[in-house]
This record gives sequence, structure tokens and C-alpha cells, in this order.
Amino acid sequence: MASDAVVVFAPTSRWRRRKANLFAFLAAFAFVLALIPLVAVFGYIFVNGIHSLLSVDFLIQDPPADLSATGGGVRNALIGTLEMTGLASLIAVPIGLAVAIFAIEVGGGLARGARFLIDVLAGLPSIVVGIFVYASVVVTQGHFSGLAGSLALAIVMLPVVTVSAEEILRLTPRPIAEGARALGLARWRAVLSVFVPIGLSGIVTGILLGVSRAIGETAPLIFTSLGNNFFTLDINQPMQALPLLIYRNALNSGFATARDRAFGAALLLIIIVFGFNLVGRWLTARRRLAGSSR
Amino acid sequence: MTQSAEVPEPPRLDLGGLRRRGWTGDLTFRAILSTLTLGITVVLGVMMVESFISASPVYQKFGIIGFITGSTWAPSFTVYGAWAFIYGTFLTSLIALVIAVPVSVLIALLLTELAPARLRAPLGIAVDLLAAVPSVVYGLWGLLVLVPAMRPLEQAIAGTLGRVVPFFGPPTPGSSYFAAGVILAVMIVPIVSAVTREVFASTPRLQREAVLALGGTRWDVARTVTLPIGRAGLLAAVVLGLGRAMGETIAVTMVIGNSDNIGKSIFSPGFTLASVIANEFNEATETLHPEALIALGTVLLVMSVLVNGAAIAIRNRFTGGSRSGF
Repeated sequence: MASDAVVVFAPTSRWRRRKANLFAFLAAFAFVLALIPLVAVFGYIFVNGIHSLLSVDFLIQDPPADLSATGGGVRNALIGTLEMTGLASLIAVPIGLAVAIFAIEVGGGLARGARFLIDVLAGLPSIVVGIFVYASVVVTQGHFSGLAGSLALAIVMLPVVTVSAEEILRLTPRPIAEGARALGLARWRAVLSVFVPIGLSGIVTGILLGVSRAIGETAPLIFTSLGNNFFTLDINQPMQALPLLIYRNALNSGFATARDRAFGAALLLIIIVFGFNLVGRWLTARRRLAGSSR
Repeated sequence: MTQSAEVPEPPRLDLGGLRRRGWTGDLTFRAILSTLTLGITVVLGVMMVESFISASPVYQKFGIIGFITGSTWAPSFTVYGAWAFIYGTFLTSLIALVIAVPVSVLIALLLTELAPARLRAPLGIAVDLLAAVPSVVYGLWGLLVLVPAMRPLEQAIAGTLGRVVPFFGPPTPGSSYFAAGVILAVMIVPIVSAVTREVFASTPRLQREAVLALGGTRWDVARTVTLPIGRAGLLAAVVLGLGRAMGETIAVTMVIGNSDNIGKSIFSPGFTLASVIANEFNEATETLHPEALIALGTVLLVMSVLVNGAAIAIRNRFTGGSRSGF
């Protein structure tokens, strides 16, 4: 190794320094290149969508039946997105946490099987999840529904919640775990009143990242909630969502009105998704800062 | 328990009570956890099986091999073959990897070797945010900005290189495999660079410092330590990116041009597995058409399980190896 190194690192020459500078330049260039789309997308959507979003009607009116007609808003899609994502969270969070705790506290064959399945799920295209729910729920029920959409979104969220919760719970400091045992706490008490509270901010971060992923999903909803043009709160009816509305309007983007509606909805969606995402990251970052100052 | 001999009786009674109460509590807790875990495992398993059952008429009619290798997709004649879409899936993913991998590796090196320590976290978050943009928003931007902007580039390549190599030849309608590959590249940079960054950050500090102490530059550190040691992890990141690219749906659907045929050129319109399902599903009224689309979904399912399984296997081997090496 040492003799190698002598050969490799010839005396510093201008050429070698230039090579190092070129490397630094290329790396910085790659970073800027990768961020161009982020800035371009955000800027483009903001510039084109802000005027829709500034009018209250956009939030409290439903879109016209004919997408090329003027006026109307995205109320049905906004409510549908919130309702389906909310229900999806109610399904995915308890199950996701249960699987994570089960994998750590109990273990064994079932835990390994479930964790394997979750790992598979984490890499599965969301459109395949949509097909699962279509083939089992929509076909059985005989119609598309917001409920089917919620289930699909729950399955999309599940791996994010489980993987992050398990990672956090595994990090429980050993002295604290031993302290809980030494106090004679039952395992369930130790988990619920010691381990989970310690990891809470990390667990919540996982949940928020899962929610932010589910809110932006379009593909699984095409086969499950389908979308419609009316306002409904009924979970058994087909239900509109913001991504679906953007998709359908974008496909009719020959009409300026449809295009504008897509821009406004896209800006709204980005704001919601980034909101969840950044709050989630901030929670963990804050904890890390607090930890380092202690 | 051995301690209780030295301690007077009352605590012993208490301990017994605690244990019994804890025991029922634990039993209930365990029962709830196992029910939920078993429940979700069964539900997911049933859903996968149901998908294969729904697709089975198509597999019975054309045979599994026949369906996968069939290059004709003609719903009005009830002929279904998946090959054009499998081809489109691999071609677009390959284009995405060719663009995204070098960029991601450079970003990972920037964030582990070059950037000031204070800037690393915020710069990393900026890259992560690329992954937070919903697919449909990328699609909207791709459709209205990227595709028109790339048409001149496509025409230029098709007019020069395309005269010699038909694979880069005309026609160039804008929406194409190439446009889909570019959008996919943007979407997989965060995952590839995040995994690569993690791998690079875990290379031994001593070796890096040794290179610097010997008078090596940052580039020498990357060339002699980070890249060689991180090779296996880098491979895992690339395979993971491939898995992600194969399954991306909506953004691809909006820029790939939607054609059931195999495009001769990289600039031809086409379809990937995911995008043909998304595009045709709601209008699938012909005989066996919905079943055939579900069958495409099962092909995509098997492909992504294989690819992601490979990525996990590589990563496990890598982390297992390095752990024992330390």
C-alpha cells in the first residue's frame, strides 16, 4: 500500500492541482445541474398558478363538467385529497407502528415475513399497488370508491412509516432500555411509555414523510378512486383528488382554462406536499440540534 | 430473583403482583401486535394473488412466454403482447441511468468530500426535495416546457448522428423515449445520490486522511479511497435507481408520446409498462383489455421485485462485509 501510494502521489504539480480543481468544478456543476429542474419546476408552476390560487373561488368552487369551460375551482379535489389521505393515515399509522414494534419486541418468523413484505412494498411501483387494490377491492365492490383510493394510499404510506419507526426504535439508548427493565416495567409499558416517547419526533417525521408521499400519488388512484367532477364526502363514491385533477386537466392542456386549473392545483399540491415534508424534516433536525447542545 | 433472599417479604409480594399484571398486559400487547402484523401480511398476500388471478385469462390465452415476448398489442383484435412495453421500460430506465448516475456520484462526492461541513446538510436537503415533487407536477412541466425545449436538440442529433445510426434517427415529435428518460433522470437523482452519499460517508476516515497527509488532492482521495471502497454500495444505488425508474408512471405517461408499437429510434414515441396501464385503463372496454393491462402490472411487479431484491442483496453483502472488516 505504502509503495503504491508513493507512485500514485507524485510531487504536486500544476497538472495535478488542475485535475483536482476540475473535479471540484464538475461536482459543483453536477449539483447545480440537478437543482435546475427543481427551481425551474417550482418557478414555472408558481408563476403560472399563483393567480388562480389567489382567488378564493378557486378553493371553494367545484370544476365545471366540461374541462374546457372557464371558471370553477378545485374544492372537490382538495377535500377528496384531504379525506382520502386522512383515512389512509388512520389505517397505515397504527399498522405500520405495530409491525415495527412487533419486529423489534417479538421477532420470529412472522416478523421476518412481514418485514420482508414491507421491504418488497417499499420498492414496488405505486401503480402496482393500485392494481392490487383494483383487483381485490374495486372488482369485489363492483365500483370505484374513495375507500379503495384510501386503501391504496395507505399501502403506499405503510413502508415509509414502518421502516422509519423501526430504525428509530432500534436506536433507543441501551441504558434507558435496561433502566426500564430494571424498574420492573412490563414490556408493553416500556415500549409505550419509554421507547415510543423517546423516539417520538423521529416516528412523527416518518409519518409526515409518508403522508407527503401519499398526497402526491396519482397512479394508484386511477384504478381506485377514479375521480369525478362533483363534490362528495361519501367514501363509497368515486372521489376526486388534486393529482388526478392535475393529470386530467393537463391532458386537455390545449384549452387555456384547463391548463390554468392544472397550474393552480399543482401549486396548491406542491405547497401541501412540501409543507408536510419540511415540517417532518424540521422535527428531526431540531431534535438533533437539541441533542448536540446538551 | 436471587436477590429476594436478602430483601424482606413485602417487596417480594409486590414483585409477584407486578409480574402477573405485566404478564397479562404483555400478552394482550403481543396479541394486538401479532394480529395487526398477521392481518396486513395476509391482506397484502391476498391482494397479490388476486391480481394474478385477474390476469390469468390473458396468460391462459397467450401463454406466459407468449404474452411477454409478443410484440403486437392490438386491443381491437384481442391480441395482447407485452414486449413493446418491456422494451420501452428498459430503454427509458437505461437513458435515465446514463444521465443520472454520473450526476448523482458527483453530487455524493461533493457532499462527502468537497463541500464545507456546515453546508452539507442544507445542500443534501435541497437534493432530497427533488424527490418530494409529485410525479404529476413533473409531468405537467415536462409536457409543457421540457418536451418543446428538447425538440431542437432531438432534431439536431437526428439530423447528424441519426443519418448514420437509425437508433438516433428521425422522426422527432418531441414526446419520446428520450424525453421520458430525461424526466426519469431528474426523478431518480435524489434516491441514487442519497444512497451513494451514505456509502461514501461510511468509508474509513483514516484512509482518507492518510491520502491527504501524503500530499494527495481531494480528487486523489475520491479516486483511491472513496470510489474503490464504495463500489459495491454504488452498484446497489444504481440498481435501486433502476427499480425506481421502471415503476415511475404519471410523469412518463405525459411525455412518452403514447404509442403501442416499438419505436425504431430513441426519439420515437412509445410506452412503458407503467404508462400504458395508466393511459389505457380507464378506456379499456375491448375484450380482455383490462385483464391484459393487469397482466402487464404483474409483469412489472415481478420485474421490480427482482430488481429491488438484487439491490437489497448487494447492499446486505456490502454492509455485512464492511462490518466484519472494521
